[in-house]
Amino acid sequence: MRIMLACCAGMSTSLVVSKMEESAKVQGKDHKIWAVDQTQIEEELGNFDVLLLGPQVRHILRKVTKIVGEKAPIAVIEASAYGRCDGEAVLKQAEELMGGI
Amino acid sequence: MSKISKKFEDGLLVIAEKVEENKYLGSIKNAFTIFMPFVIVGSFATLFNSLICSPTTGLAKWIPILEKIKPAFVAVNFATMSFMTVPVIFLIAMQLAKANKVPEYITGVVVVASYISVIPEVVTVIVDKQKGTAAGIPGAALGAQGLFVGMIIAVLVVELFSKLTKIEAIKIKMPPSVPKGISTSFNTLIPIMITLTITAIAGNVFFNVTGMYVNDFIYQAIQAPLEVVFQSPAGIIAIVIFSQLFWFLGIHGGLVISPIRNPLIAAAIAANVAAVNAGGVATQAVTYGFWLNFIVAGGAGITLSLIFAIFIFSKRDDHKMIAKVAFLPGLCGISEPIVFGLPLVLNPTFAIPFILNSGIATAIALFATKIGFMPCNTVDVPFGVPVLIGPFIGHGWQGVIVQIIIFAVCTFTWAPFVLMSNRQAKEEAKQA
Repeated sequence: MRIMLACCAGMSTSLVVSKMEESAKVQGKDHKIWAVDQTQIEEELGNFDVLLLGPQVRHILRKVTKIVGEKAPIAVIEASAYGRCDGEAVLKQAEELMGGI
Repeated sequence: MSKISKKFEDGLLVIAEKVEENKYLGSIKNAFTIFMPFVIVGSFATLFNSLICSPTTGLAKWIPILEKIKPAFVAVNFATMSFMTVPVIFLIAMQLAKANKVPEYITGVVVVASYISVIPEVVTVIVDKQKGTAAGIPGAALGAQGLFVGMIIAVLVVELFSKLTKIEAIKIKMPPSVPKGISTSFNTLIPIMITLTITAIAGNVFFNVTGMYVNDFIYQAIQAPLEVVFQSPAGIIAIVIFSQLFWFLGIHGGLVISPIRNPLIAAAIAANVAAVNAGGVATQAVTYGFWLNFIVAGGAGITLSLIFAIFIFSKRDDHKMIAKVAFLPGLCGISEPIVFGLPLVLNPTFAIPFILNSGIATAIALFATKIGFMPCNTVDVPFGVPVLIGPFIGHGWQGVIVQIIIFAVCTFTWAPFVLMSNRQAKEEAKQA
């Protein structure tokens, strides 16, 4: 599964990405996970199966939903998991969004 | 939460969404995001210039020949900062064209051509005390002083051009066997002609009626007053606190205000570099470097100081745990772990310092600039450069001291609220 995270400059989400990768490795799952700046979402269309937004950019959800449409499910990362850099919880959120793979 | 604060929260969220969804503001914001590396590279050329070519502060002190390559670094300054209006309006036009679903590159070129058509193509020169004119484009029209007029023209021209390209009647019909690329290029011909003719005539009429070029007029009427407000203590502190209100809701405040902030900080650093290159002194305090190094030092709301305050005063294990996680990101100015982990979002206990601290930091840094302790910077640093190193590159050792003062002061403004939180936790434990 290809999981893309987006925030402002892709810096703070990249912290979460490395924790998610660790968690996926422990669980023996082969996910591709990366973070981008929110302006790059449109260019990445088709490259991701699920899109997670950092809670600090949740105000762009409506706009991003229009851009992405039916191509991938989108959600805002649950704030407390994001703050704790809880890779396992965010990974679970992504998997649930995809209907549990 | 009370009704009033709920209304306030919803109102701010609506503003943030509206800014994000407004295609003009969105295009301007994205264009500056794309262009930002060039501003930073341009400002670094100033740094290299003083480190390499200066006979007093650089390598040229020992290797005099290095002074000869000074024009190369000045050229990098010019190509990035003193020329920024052209690439920026090209990028804005491309972003808007994408939103309007019209060809992007051609729209970009149309906007640049339209802009060039309304600015002067003669410059005033003085030779042997005789005033005259010569062919050339004034620097003011190409550099940051052209940003606002450029943005206005970009918006108007893209809308006009988009409407024209969608009118079937002025399309040249081609047989279906003609490749699509060829028919596209023919079909843009008439809209380009109409667009350029209208803008050039409008610019000409404006000049004949007012005696001023439109770029000079917009600069003086709109951009210069905005710059004054933005650089004034009251203006910038109000903007900073407005931005922090968004952060209090857990929304990236810097991102929301960036459509208005980014053109003004770009103009400020360009003015500083131009002043120094001309042998003068930089005077514009509020730049991108100033924003990162002082206003949001260690994270918007000076959250790094909160981490210090928690390490020193907190008796809460949950807070100490989050502070440990948030410490390293905080050193690079990333505040999200503590903002969402503690959380600071919608947390009334920490609301006052979270909203006001960046304003206090701004006041401290502006004061240091005002009394002449800290110079205005000509070198901007990118986001993510660690604390203390960032201000050293941008503002020299004085910048490092100012940043340390900000951290110290804000650790004390956070402290009473950390103690309050200790008491709250104690009472909750009692009740449980």
